[in-house]
Amino acid sequence: MHSLKNIAYLTFIDFLIRYRRTALGPLWLLVGPGLFIFFLGSLFSRVSNIDASIFIPHLTIGLIFWTLIQGFVTNSTTVFQRARPQILQQGMQLKDIIVMDMGTTLLQFLHQLVLIFVVMIYYQTPITLFAFTSLLGLAIMIANGYWISILFGIIGARYRDLTEITQALMRIAFLATPIIWMPGDLSKGDALSPYLMLNPFYHFMEIVRAPLLNQPISLISWAIVLTITILGLVTAHFFYGRYHKRVPLWV
Amino acid sequence: MNKPLIEARDLVLKVPVIKPNERKLLSNPSSLLKDFYLSKTQRRHMTLVDNVSLTLTQGMRLGLMGANGAGKSTLLRLLAGIYHPTTGSLKVNGSAKGLFDVSLGMHPEATGLENIYMRGLQMGLSLQEIKSLIPEVVAFAELEQDIDKPFATYSAGMKLRLAVSISTMIEPDILLLDEWVGAGDVRFRQKVTERMNRLVLQSRGLVLATHSSSLMRKVCTHAMVMDKGRVIFQGELAEAEEFYKTFLKARDAEPLKPAEC
Repeated sequence: MHSLKNIAYLTFIDFLIRYRRTALGPLWLLVGPGLFIFFLGSLFSRVSNIDASIFIPHLTIGLIFWTLIQGFVTNSTTVFQRARPQILQQGMQLKDIIVMDMGTTLLQFLHQLVLIFVVMIYYQTPITLFAFTSLLGLAIMIANGYWISILFGIIGARYRDLTEITQALMRIAFLATPIIWMPGDLSKGDALSPYLMLNPFYHFMEIVRAPLLNQPISLISWAIVLTITILGLVTAHFFYGRYHKRVPLWV
Repeated sequence: MNKPLIEARDLVLKVPVIKPNERKLLSNPSSLLKDFYLSKTQRRHMTLVDNVSLTLTQGMRLGLMGANGAGKSTLLRLLAGIYHPTTGSLKVNGSAKGLFDVSLGMHPEATGLENIYMRGLQMGLSLQEIKSLIPEVVAFAELEQDIDKPFATYSAGMKLRLAVSISTMIEPDILLLDEWVGAGDVRFRQKVTERMNRLVLQSRGLVLATHSSSLMRKVCTHAMVMDKGRVIFQGELAEAEEFYKTFLKARDAEPLKPAEC
């Protein structure tokens, strides 16, 4: 097992090298979502007939956190394949490799966080103490990223099909989760509710976004999120114990 | 203190192998398409290491002999803790480090210096340790001028020199070698040989897989002959060499079977 310090340094060096040959460097991370919000924000607020000062913060926070979720999920299926030399030559531990990979995704997220601040200041979204609950939500998200990386990383090393499936499903999940649209008023909300209730991503989005927009989080969301987190961590723990020894043979 | 450095009992490594079905391309081209989409492959288990037991004691230098595919490299990776045995027990007292494929894991976009840092951190060295090793690593690789250039811009010789220099920068307790590390022009090869000899002398034990019998005679005290994952002889170097010679003769005397893969 490597020290956390070594893993942090490695993550940083890797991150620095990744953007070396670009003129803007890591600022490119802001360009993609920035353009998305700029062009589609006003369009979708008009389509759904919601004031921009309400819709655009909703869209921005949703989009940035979605990028984090998507990063965790899609990277997880190839996390061990991409670290083949580290596993086969350097003998690095699988869990260290996961922490490094998640660290890179988190660093990207921290850059994009700037967009949330900019939008919230621009539209003067009121901030209350309750907003800090979002940090707890973020911690829960990271814990889920960890078990997904273990589970999907191991399965993905054996069955490369997993990458294709997750990519297809994540695209659907992006549109099914209220990011570029809003659940709307109560009457509509009823018709939508099975779609929202059965979508785990909706609940994860709620625990990080609702506090920032000063909206209440339903107890159901907390219950579902915590259940998924605990079940996931336990499953991944047993799965790791049973299958991690085979990963070097599969990558 | 006199505990054996490596003690392995009945190591077995079974590996799943995925093999596409036989394709009769010329007589039945449509089967290729069918296989491609329905992915008809066979999954079998192959035993790469079969019931291997060995003891490496203090100061023992063990050579592995055997044809290509006999399981020598796989056994080394098992001893290094990279592969985990399917069954059997393995006890290693000390740090067993392997030099397998030295140029694996270099980052092409990173500079030579950054590569030293990255590989060092991956080996588990602290930042201070790496810093203190850097002058020596750079000097050994003779890259004082170019260490700040991206690795991808290096010539093949420079790449290899840096890779060798990094891989040998720390002296492991128990050295696992898959073929002798040797690279570059005559002068550099001489330097590498000197360094390798030093590593060998400073290690408390060594396992070396090689096809070169002169090298084995120079380095090893004991030897093990492997065939198809099994150990067929284990003992003093001279006896092992004798055994291997007769074994090869006996095998060559047999009529050649069609190659299996």
